[in-house]
Order: sequence, then C-alpha cells, then structure tokens
Amino acid sequence: MEVRKEHKYFTIVEHEKEQEYLREKQKAGWKFVKVTGLGTYHFEKCEPEDVIYQLDYNQEGLAHKEEYVQMFRDCGWEYLQDFFGYSYFRKPQVEMNGNEEEIFCDDNSRLEMMKRVFKGRLVPLLIVFCCILVPQFFMNVFSAHHEFNNALAFLYGVLLVSYLIIFVTWTVRYLQYKRKVEK
Amino acid sequence: MDSHIRKVYVPMTETAFYILLCLQKPNHGYGIVQMVEKMTDGEIRLAPGTMYGSLSKMEKDKLIQFVREEEKRKIYEITDLGREVLQLERKRIERLYKNAQEEL
Repeated sequence: MEVRKEHKYFTIVEHEKEQEYLREKQKAGWKFVKVTGLGTYHFEKCEPEDVIYQLDYNQEGLAHKEEYVQMFRDCGWEYLQDFFGYSYFRKPQVEMNGNEEEIFCDDNSRLEMMKRVFKGRLVPLLIVFCCILVPQFFMNVFSAHHEFNNALAFLYGVLLVSYLIIFVTWTVRYLQYKRKVEK
Repeated sequence: MDSHIRKVYVPMTETAFYILLCLQKPNHGYGIVQMVEKMTDGEIRLAPGTMYGSLSKMEKDKLIQFVREEEKRKIYEITDLGREVLQLERKRIERLYKNAQEEL
C-alpha cells in the first residue's frame, strides 16, 4: 500500500480548514489514516472519493468515550481518533442522500463547541500569554542591552503576535455564530 | 422554575424541543434522531454532535434524567421540570401560530 506523510499546522481555531484539507486529500485519492506528533498527517492511496470529515471538541464525550462514539456510529459517522482533545469523524457523501451533512445541525451547538474549545484550549493559552509572554516580552525589550535580550524580545514578540492572531480568529468566528444564533 | 432555565429554554432550539417531546417516553439519542426523522418526513435529521451536546446540557440542567444504559447507549427520560419547560414552549408556539393565522 502506497503511503504518504504531510506536515501541516492548523491552529486551534482552524478545524474547519483542517476538515476541508482532509476532504480535498481524499478527493485527490489520498485517504486520511491518522495524525501524529505536532501535525504529521498520514495518508494511504485510495480511489478518489468525496468524504466529509468533521472534528468535534467535547471533553465530556472523551470521558464517556464508548457511548459518545456509539452515538456518532449510529448516525453513520466513522470514528477515527482523538488529537489534542479533538475527535475526528468521517462519512462518505454518497451516504447523505444528497444533503451535505455535518455533525452539528444548528448554530447554537456550533457556538457551544466554540465555548468548549475556549475553556479547554484558549484559557490555558491566555494564562501563558498574560503570565509569561507579556511580562517576558517587556522585560527583554526594556533590558535590551545585549544581543541576547534583543533576540529574546524578538522571539517573544513573534509568539505574542501568533497568540494574538489565534485569539482574534476565535473571537471573530464566535461572534459570527453568535450573530446568526441571535437572528 | 428559576429564571435562568426560563431564559435559556424559552424559546428553545428545534433540537431541544424535539428532544423533550420524544423523551416523554424513555429513549436514547439515536432513537430520538429516528423518531424526529419519521415525524418530519425526513426533513429534520438531527446530527450527533448537536445531539450529544444537547443531551448532556439538558441532563445538567435537570430537564431530563438518565435512566439506564443499553448496549453503550444512554437512555434518558423527561423530568417534571422538563415537562414544565415543554409546556411553556408549547404555549409560546401556540400563540405564535394563532397570531400568524390571524395576521397572514
């Protein structure tokens, strides 16, 4: 069996992009096998097929894995694996009777998932951000007498910006759903 | 009933409404999905992520309660509080329907 590996990095809030990536891969004849490490995607050669990939983030589900997975299986979704709190599911398009199914059927539950991601993933990041990154950044900026401090300030600066991007992306998506729900 | 429950569940989502409606008899998540599909001639197909999230939230809010487990499927049924909320929501929908009939 021909296999292939690809390194790809999706931030916490880019699960929709990731779903689309896996779907496009299978359309091109590469079926997702697993993801390992920090984002190494393993594929095996297959007949091109349109398969919908979906990610859920539900810690309670993971704690009651058997009945959680059973509910998805009953609805025709194949469970693949967990990765950093996200659970991976897939279902072939042909089994959807002409509709494009998702694991969520209303914006309310999409919003609930974003809240779970916030609690599980963003709160820890925020703590690191406020307690370590911000003070370290300014400490190194203001004591920038050495090359070493300059380099550190730069490094923390880069981290600060990437964290900010994650927070902003999450907020934008959250507000989008929220607006839809409140309509 | 405390104001928090009233605020969160009146009005409620279509998913939540069908869950309460179906759980007047004990059932599991997928059983509800099937019942709703039948009731709506296949128009509403509840999705598992939504279903799982709603069931655990409603259990926490004591609108439904866990009865037993059967072949890895959790069976729930509606509680008195759940019935009360369902009635409130029904009244709201009836009023909506009545006004629509008069005005449309």
